[in-house]
Amino acid sequence: MSTVIHLDRVSKRYRAGRSRTFTEMMTSNIGRLAGRRDDDQVFSLTLGARSATIWAVRDLDFEVPRGAGLGVIGPNGAGKTTLLKLISRVTWPTSGRVRVAGRVVSLIELGAGFHPELTGRENVYLGAGLFGLTRREIAAKFDAIVAFAGVERMIDAPMKRYSSGLYARLGFSVAVHSDPDIVLVDEVLAVGDAAFRRRAMDALRGFIDGGRTVLFISHDMWNVRRLCDRILWMDEGRVRAYGPSAEIAERYMSEVNLEALANERAALQSHRRGTGEIRFTAVRLFDAAGRAVQSIAAGGALTIAAEYAASQPVRAPLFQVSIVDVDTGFVVSTASSDPSAAPVVDGAGSVRVTFPALPLKPRHYVLRLAVFDRRRTVEYDYVSAGPRFVVTGGAGASDAGDEEDGFVSLPYEFDVCAVSRAI
Amino acid sequence: MTDTLLDRSERMSAAAYLELLSNLTRREVKGRYSQSFFGFAWAVAQPLATMLVFAFVFGRMGQMGPAGVPYPLFAYAALVPWFFFSNSVSSGTMAIVTYRNIVTKTYFPREIIPLAQVGSRLLDLAAAAGLFALMLAWYRPHLGVWAATAPIFLLILFAFTVGLTLLTSATNVFYRDVGPVVTIALQLWLFLTPIAYPLANVPAKYRWFFALNPLTAVIEGTRASLVLNSAPDWGLTAIAAATSVALLAGAYALFKTLDRFFADVI
Repeated sequence: MSTVIHLDRVSKRYRAGRSRTFTEMMTSNIGRLAGRRDDDQVFSLTLGARSATIWAVRDLDFEVPRGAGLGVIGPNGAGKTTLLKLISRVTWPTSGRVRVAGRVVSLIELGAGFHPELTGRENVYLGAGLFGLTRREIAAKFDAIVAFAGVERMIDAPMKRYSSGLYARLGFSVAVHSDPDIVLVDEVLAVGDAAFRRRAMDALRGFIDGGRTVLFISHDMWNVRRLCDRILWMDEGRVRAYGPSAEIAERYMSEVNLEALANERAALQSHRRGTGEIRFTAVRLFDAAGRAVQSIAAGGALTIAAEYAASQPVRAPLFQVSIVDVDTGFVVSTASSDPSAAPVVDGAGSVRVTFPALPLKPRHYVLRLAVFDRRRTVEYDYVSAGPRFVVTGGAGASDAGDEEDGFVSLPYEFDVCAVSRAI
Repeated sequence: MTDTLLDRSERMSAAAYLELLSNLTRREVKGRYSQSFFGFAWAVAQPLATMLVFAFVFGRMGQMGPAGVPYPLFAYAALVPWFFFSNSVSSGTMAIVTYRNIVTKTYFPREIIPLAQVGSRLLDLAAAAGLFALMLAWYRPHLGVWAATAPIFLLILFAFTVGLTLLTSATNVFYRDVGPVVTIALQLWLFLTPIAYPLANVPAKYRWFFALNPLTAVIEGTRASLVLNSAPDWGLTAIAAATSVALLAGAYALFKTLDRFFADVI
């Protein structure tokens, strides 16, 4: 299979902060005259010597074959977006070579080229033009673009009348219809409703099936694994690991989990969003005997205890604690339903969910924690990948193996009736 | 299907390039005049109002116009190319910074951004020239064969404007000092170009300085061609053409060298 993206020892260095000012240039020249030779430092009158540069990515060296779905994961600041910008030629490497075959479309921000004063129709031409399409090509695809975005009704209204979701949908639609060979997606599917997200994922899936190449940055492991057969794990500007999705995702999640064991606070920092009036600060799991555990036996009792801190008084928040499967999503979702239990929350507190008998099948699960306002319009905190735990085969576990998929063990009876055909 | 790995992005087709340029130009024009009551009429208001003030201050009070030529026509013939130049350069200088949202997120040939600014001012120029045509019909100066030379000056004007806009837009990304420098320079430039007065009024010992300014040749030439029906100063015109082409080539080369760093420093 041929290579469509090839990075050859690519590094990218940014100057920290702004360009050099006249005073900095003079003081650094004086410094050089005085015998200092370190070009990697600037000399500020107020701050003294400091490092002038930041390495955004360092020694990236890998190939992506045609038709790959490549997930790019890693914590914030790992260099994921810089990688996408290097491949799309928005920026150039400080050293090394980036070689790419075919037309690249980058979705770093949806609808970045749109102008709010122009109508949707005009912006389709403008946006698709930015991706290199001619008027004739755009005209041929115009109806498909509008239909995919579902904005038929608004197409001749100025874009400033669009909601941010519609704006993003039209941006995505223009991008996927611009006939790219390589699509770069940077965490842009978080906008838009669930139906559109599904359609967007299907479109990306279609690209991969059609032999195009997709690079997909996301913190949502579930979507990464659904879409991508390989994962590139970046950390502090370097490639941490590159390989089959299942294997890398497993390593990544167990690392997040290890961090959780070492420092529960740190684990809660990654994969989270929210406005921050309330923050979860720690999560612990306990078994029936009240011992802190990382694994429980199938059918056993499980207590999830989460601590939180509110930075200001919050009226009747809604806590949600869910058990999630990394590959497929929610397994069980629980929520605090009685607002009178905590009419106003301020300062530190805790929530506790107890399952007297957890009917989950043996495998790894992840906790997802969220706290909203009562109407679910404001998300104070959302930890999409909290601590992980394992359900092990408990006593009397069924031995049906592969015949029995799913997550939940329920008592059942299974009858097979053999009916002989009347001859 | 063969996969050829390239160090550069795929070259845009000429049709797509022109399509993008015309779309960005349209975006500029629409963005500037939408949500405004008079809309495109503003393109004419600026040279017209300036012409009226110039006619009063320099024509009536200062007696600066040449004898036998209506001063409003004399001044307006210069103000139309001047405002094309000055508006292109001043909005072009800020253009890439204004478009930072696109520049840091998608790749396309960056020079299209300042070119679209010049393109949008070309439409203003056309509107202002429409009024000029009405003035010609009103004042009825003698138009003859020399009118045919007008496109030469338009070309020089265009080359010089594009060259300078490429230069200032690229350097402004790195040092925002370029913006205020351009603003001040354009204010002084208006008076150091024979717009309110003819070059003939300039003392001979300062003429060489005016000759270095391609706009001198453009404005003197435009007047010679469309107002006075006389031969242009070919020596002056040749210097202006050479300067403009050299600037355009140099600025383009510099722009294409610097544009790799736009997204990093913007």
